[in-house]
Amino acid sequence: MSPPLVVERSPSGATTTSGPRRERALSWLLLLPSVAVFALFIFWPLGRTLYLSTHGNDIFGAPGAYVGLDHYADMFSASFAGILATTALFTLISVLPAVLGALLVVLLLESRIRGVRVLRTAFALPFAFSVATASVVFAVIYNPAIGIANGLLGAVGVDRVDWLTDPSIALPAVGAATVWMNLGYNVLVLSAGVAAIPQEVVEAARLDGATGWRLATGITIPLLSPQLFFLVVVSTIHALQSFGQIHILTKGGPDDATSTLVYSIYERAFAYGSSDFGAASAQAVVLLLIMLACTAVQFGILERRVHYR
Amino acid sequence: MAHSPLRRTGRAVLALLTATALISGCGSGPDDGGSSDALDAPGAEALGDGRTTVEFWHAMKGANAAAVDKLVADFNAANGGKVEVKAVYQGNYDETIAKYKASVQQKNTPALIQVYDIGTRFMVDSKQVVPMHRFVEKDGFPLADIEPNIASYYSIDGKLWSMPFNTSTPLLYLNKEAFTSAGLDPTKPPKTLTEIGELAKKLTVKDASGKTTRYGFGAAIYGWLLEQLLATDGKEYCDNGNGRQQLASKVQFDQPAAVQVAQWWADLVKNGYATNTGRKTDDAQAAFKAGTVAMHLESTSVLRGYVDAAAGKFTVLTAPYPKISDASTGGPIIGGASLWINGVGHSAAEKRAAWEFVKFAAGATPQAQWHTGTGYVPINVKAMEQIDKAWTEKYPQFRTAVDQLHALPPSVASAGCLLGVMPQARKASEDGLEAAIVGAKPADQAMKEAATGVTAAIDSYNKSVR
Amino acid sequence: MKKLRPGRIAVYVVLTLALIPVLFPVYYAFAGAVMGPGDLASYPPALVPSGLHWRNVTDVFSTVPLGRFYLNSAVQAGVITLAQVVTSILAAYAFAFLRMPARAATFALFLATLMVPWETIIIPNYLAISDWGLTRGGLTYLGLVLPFLASAFGTFLLRQAFLQFPTELRDAAVIDGCGHWRLLWRIVVPLSKPSIAAVGVYVFLSAWNQYFWPLILIRDTEYQTLQIGISQLNDAEAAQPGLILAGVALSLLPTLAVVIFGQRYIVRGLTAGALR
Repeated sequence: MSPPLVVERSPSGATTTSGPRRERALSWLLLLPSVAVFALFIFWPLGRTLYLSTHGNDIFGAPGAYVGLDHYADMFSASFAGILATTALFTLISVLPAVLGALLVVLLLESRIRGVRVLRTAFALPFAFSVATASVVFAVIYNPAIGIANGLLGAVGVDRVDWLTDPSIALPAVGAATVWMNLGYNVLVLSAGVAAIPQEVVEAARLDGATGWRLATGITIPLLSPQLFFLVVVSTIHALQSFGQIHILTKGGPDDATSTLVYSIYERAFAYGSSDFGAASAQAVVLLLIMLACTAVQFGILERRVHYR
Repeated sequence: MAHSPLRRTGRAVLALLTATALISGCGSGPDDGGSSDALDAPGAEALGDGRTTVEFWHAMKGANAAAVDKLVADFNAANGGKVEVKAVYQGNYDETIAKYKASVQQKNTPALIQVYDIGTRFMVDSKQVVPMHRFVEKDGFPLADIEPNIASYYSIDGKLWSMPFNTSTPLLYLNKEAFTSAGLDPTKPPKTLTEIGELAKKLTVKDASGKTTRYGFGAAIYGWLLEQLLATDGKEYCDNGNGRQQLASKVQFDQPAAVQVAQWWADLVKNGYATNTGRKTDDAQAAFKAGTVAMHLESTSVLRGYVDAAAGKFTVLTAPYPKISDASTGGPIIGGASLWINGVGHSAAEKRAAWEFVKFAAGATPQAQWHTGTGYVPINVKAMEQIDKAWTEKYPQFRTAVDQLHALPPSVASAGCLLGVMPQARKASEDGLEAAIVGAKPADQAMKEAATGVTAAIDSYNKSVR
Repeated sequence: MKKLRPGRIAVYVVLTLALIPVLFPVYYAFAGAVMGPGDLASYPPALVPSGLHWRNVTDVFSTVPLGRFYLNSAVQAGVITLAQVVTSILAAYAFAFLRMPARAATFALFLATLMVPWETIIIPNYLAISDWGLTRGGLTYLGLVLPFLASAFGTFLLRQAFLQFPTELRDAAVIDGCGHWRLLWRIVVPLSKPSIAAVGVYVFLSAWNQYFWPLILIRDTEYQTLQIGISQLNDAEAAQPGLILAGVALSLLPTLAVVIFGQRYIVRGLTAGALR
């Protein structure tokens, strides 16, 4: 899923009634490549997902007998409720700190200090890491036997922490890695937002005596609200779809503590010799519904507080 | 912004969902196995005059992959271009079998594939393979050369279905210096879990500030280790005679012996005598190699790496795999992985060519090289005679492992459980062990829930192959 | 020279404290890449390399075909980017300049694709792509890129850009006999270069960083992408963290160079959805 679109201009003034025949033919021709790709790789598979979610599988994963809503009924279980709770918690702890942390950094960078450019670049460096490379680095850092994280704790006399093997710590640990991965992007987006704030607005506020905290809460943050809203929406969508870091760091464990919805779909469909495409597809439908609901809620509630210029 | 485009399209999406659900939905399944010819074993004449290429999927990485490549190169050279084997790495065992499933559906299976022991039932039920005993009978292959304990895993009703390829047995690993510095005798290794527990307490070392610098025990939460413990205790892992009389209907790792293992492990961790490094075997291995763990359970296949990594730091000792109690009389399961020849969709020449390679790979000389190159136990009883003395002296532990394996009386328990969804069962057993070890659930409840959780998958598997 | 007020000092202190956790993994990825086994595989692990152990770096190339991974990722991300930019330009032009029946409904259909998470449709796509045999040999490239050859996101952004052109331009062009095709490639595309570049950057980075799809699709190491290659290196060589980190460090070089030297070029692409 690509980032959602925050701002749309009104459509062009061109009339929407059908144009000359040649123009119509040309428009279909131009749309054809995209329409073909969408039909073949989005809409048809979407129907297939619904179809698969109501069917069983043979041992190779080929669809078998119709099973009605059995796969959906199976989801009314404690383990699936746990998966949903984990997904929600993971989203919360990976989105908010990354957005708020980036906001703090950007506000501090704006307080007219030296070396802003170097500092901004430094904070943006995590952006150079993909989910895979960042996760691999964190896997080495968190390593239970020889990881530097425990090495550093040991050096200051603190007992080791089971970063990825303690069920109560694994999710925050993966969440922290995710916050780290997203921080660079968030800093870049918010910095661009700050740069777009008209200098005279800020100067006028300063002349009125607004500095520091008051300048931030009164002027900068409200004017950044489109970017903040964008980041919350995009990060939520990304968090709900997080897969690489869980696949690399914890494989959903320990004791299912990091088993999110997307990871669960993967595990049922592709891991441990399982090819339970039916149950996985039912979960994929739930993912779609959650995503739709989340987007609807964010646009319905959060967006009203956004201050567009 | 007046209206979000997303909000406006909400209804369109719903309409589409419904529409696409109606128009799509015709799945295609694989053929149900093909004619009986496909699963016949052709004779040597099938090769004809041309050149036959055999695609060989394997799951060996690192030094083991190099050994596979050498084996293949030797075979190709020996066959003067008549048969050419092309080895293709497919990822780990799970990934290999997942790709195999896809290839069955697409009708483009490789002629030869290496599958882990726990995929045996699935391979039989796939109805894609030529049972190995047909080739054995056709050629009068000396089956007696194949270590009987290993062959028994891959045999159903006494008939060999696949050729054992790489086999390892579990061992107890000890850090000699940890023993001596704790005033313990490393030549008297613990024999039971209880003894390990007692020693672990003495072997755990804390520094002045109370931080643990060495744990008495540490092993990966790896289902295979539990399977081995149950087998040495003479217990069957799944019902219906370990799935060998008829399809197993449930797993039995909630039996008292298994709960006892989970409880023992959980207690060690809770009391701070064992470290929990999670499920990744690499992480537990790293802890032992770093010297922060005194006793450790692993397969023979990592011994070479341990000896190399510990050089100059400590001495690696090995001991027989522990038993659950003094009364245990069984031996461990001899699994590993084996080679399967696909019949469906392959010409007689391809099948024959694949068999030629299998025959070659199971021979005494290649197995001896395979053993020294990888650390796997040779599956050919004559292989040990060919292994050079210097090697045996350098790694005496292997000789012990092979001798033990040889002395083992074959039993239903040590033949291992045949189960279509065995990989999922192993994963579930790890779920149970982990839940107990991290203290999320009491051991009995954890193992019970994990075992019950597999039943649905077993049922649906059994239903689809009947 | 400005006086260092307490507030300013506090700002520096907070920023420095925040910088440590942000930079540490970056530092460790590169420092670890040149650490010897004695630094990494023992306890406690070293914080600073005991020397420059270049063996990790040379070993990476003998362990995995890293160059090949680079090539595969470049082909995969490059083809996806090129295709998406072209299909988006064509579709955006139709939506912005041409009169056709059911334009609003068709556009809504495009936007609807944005609501479908890829993970929801990944299984049927996997089944279809494998069914068509696009997981074998060089056909893997096709399987990797086919589902991503068009995007509503790119279409939407470019349509926004194209709508900036006055409608008179369109009418004049048509009356002049300039024709839509020439209008598109001679005027609209050249004048929309920044937007097109923004879409291109965004698409390229998303494709380059893909994980789930290549993970389940690719069978041959020969066609493995960089991301999956590095994560498999982590799995296969877990005993050698130095080797793994060397692989990570080598795979980071291009994106790191972009963040350090080309920041201002990418910001627009990254934030294309947020701004304007």
